[in-house]
Amino acid sequence: MIWETVIGLETHVQLSTKTKLFSRASTAFGAPPNTNVNLVDCGLPGVLPSVNKEAFYKAIRFGIAIGAQINQTSIFDRKNYFYADLPKGYQITQMDLPIVLGGSIEITTDDLSKTINITRAHLEEDAGKSIHDEYDGFSAIDLNRAGTPLLEIVSEPEISSAKEAVAYMKAMHQLVTYLDVSDGNMAQGSLRCDANVSIRKKGNKELGTRTEIKNINSFKFIEKAINYEVKRQIKILENGEKVTQETRLYDSVKDETRPMRSKEFANDYRYFPEPDLLPVVISNEEMQTIKDKFPELPKEKENRYIKEFNLSAYDAQIIASSKSMADFFEDAAKKTTNYSLLSNWLIGDISAFLNKEMIEIHESKLNSVNVAMLINRIDDQTISGKIGKSIFEEMWVSGSSPDEIIESQGLKQISDDGAIEEIIMTVISDNPDQVEAYLGGKDKLFGFFVGQVMKLTEGKANPQTVNKILKEQLKK
Amino acid sequence: MDKETVRTICYLARLRIDQKKSEKIENDLETIIELISGLQSIDTSNIEPLYSPLEMTALKHEDEEKSDNKKEKFLENAPASNDDYFLVPRVVE
Repeated sequence: MIWETVIGLETHVQLSTKTKLFSRASTAFGAPPNTNVNLVDCGLPGVLPSVNKEAFYKAIRFGIAIGAQINQTSIFDRKNYFYADLPKGYQITQMDLPIVLGGSIEITTDDLSKTINITRAHLEEDAGKSIHDEYDGFSAIDLNRAGTPLLEIVSEPEISSAKEAVAYMKAMHQLVTYLDVSDGNMAQGSLRCDANVSIRKKGNKELGTRTEIKNINSFKFIEKAINYEVKRQIKILENGEKVTQETRLYDSVKDETRPMRSKEFANDYRYFPEPDLLPVVISNEEMQTIKDKFPELPKEKENRYIKEFNLSAYDAQIIASSKSMADFFEDAAKKTTNYSLLSNWLIGDISAFLNKEMIEIHESKLNSVNVAMLINRIDDQTISGKIGKSIFEEMWVSGSSPDEIIESQGLKQISDDGAIEEIIMTVISDNPDQVEAYLGGKDKLFGFFVGQVMKLTEGKANPQTVNKILKEQLKK
Repeated sequence: MDKETVRTICYLARLRIDQKKSEKIENDLETIIELISGLQSIDTSNIEPLYSPLEMTALKHEDEEKSDNKKEKFLENAPASNDDYFLVPRVVE
């Protein structure tokens, strides 16, 4: 039997607004518990929500970028359920008239591109955080996150493998960070998804029974969770049994999905229009302002880098693929003129270190001023490229500036002809046998002399100067 | 409207009802639903829904922080709390 996988993703993107969707409490991450909580956020009776302008503008920017229809009049609805971290007993979300309708996202897997259609994207508030294991017999509730604006983006069930799901999430991450709609920080939950997975016989038109895997927050786990779930469902179907429609959680330690105890025995959310909020209308003038201030997207950046900084198409594409990297490059390019050396470092050593720790450049200790300085010191031959690498390793760990490191460790390249000549004379007089052999025709020994000079100078001698003087002196 | 439906509705609203009154509630709800059904027989397919009786639209606030946090008071008013958190009977997924 040949099986076919059908996946639809619901992505929750935390919008990077300063304040909440319905109050002006801060959304800053990591504040002491229950300090970013206004009257509206803890659901006190008699308070009225108002809507955050910027959250709407960000949602609209996303909608424009995916070619969607923007509902300039949108309304909010109540989704009713009881849970301790939802103080009002309902979540304010958009059901009937979401802000964004339709659109599509382009994904690439193994050099093949595919279009995934988007059903809708709507604004809603996040819930608070429950801590279950710190207080005996109690769950502790922190409402700092309650009311944080989320954009929930629902895809059509057009994704056909775990690999495509990862590509979709990567494309989503690139888009929301580029649009400055979200910081895209997956570890802090700014980008997470629920995956609806089902299996059917290849060629069947009807969809199979689906399960929903909740709250996956890394590219790696998306792939593993879906692959596990696909295998599990195929096994069930091949045994002639039926898949149960249910919500499941992915356990990354055991690498398996398992059924989640549902929040309510019947999922009956009893949606109805939110009576506390009037319809939200976005004027044509506001729409025009959003369009006028539209940020530069990856493809546009790529082309500009080729023209403005003379980067190769390959380098430009890699640097422009990440918003964080592109911002860093542009900042550093204000402080150095050797753009190709800068891009080589970013794509080479720096990316290698970032990938090893799986972080983005803005999360590292590097800053654009220091990296530009390192490029300049290599460019003006204060240090060799090789010493540059060891200075970089120190910068990576301590965040110090290259000049501080060069100074404190005495790493300055020796370019002074006299000093180098002196060392070369020592090497020649210490190794008479090798000199004789070299003069007798063993040209390869030249490398041996260079090595000896470098050893005595701890790699700090300017290689060009060493080569020049060494050739002259050996001839004498 | 049967006993089971009334039980479900009460559960969803977290209401406890006196079993003796269950029959009366069944009848009351039945009457309410009949009343509403009258409205539902009207064809509204070509009418734009009225989302609010007020002919106004929502005011949008600027994205600038303005805190009215009263952490201590919030926590004090909760049935159970410690210095930092609201405490609730343990919910474990």
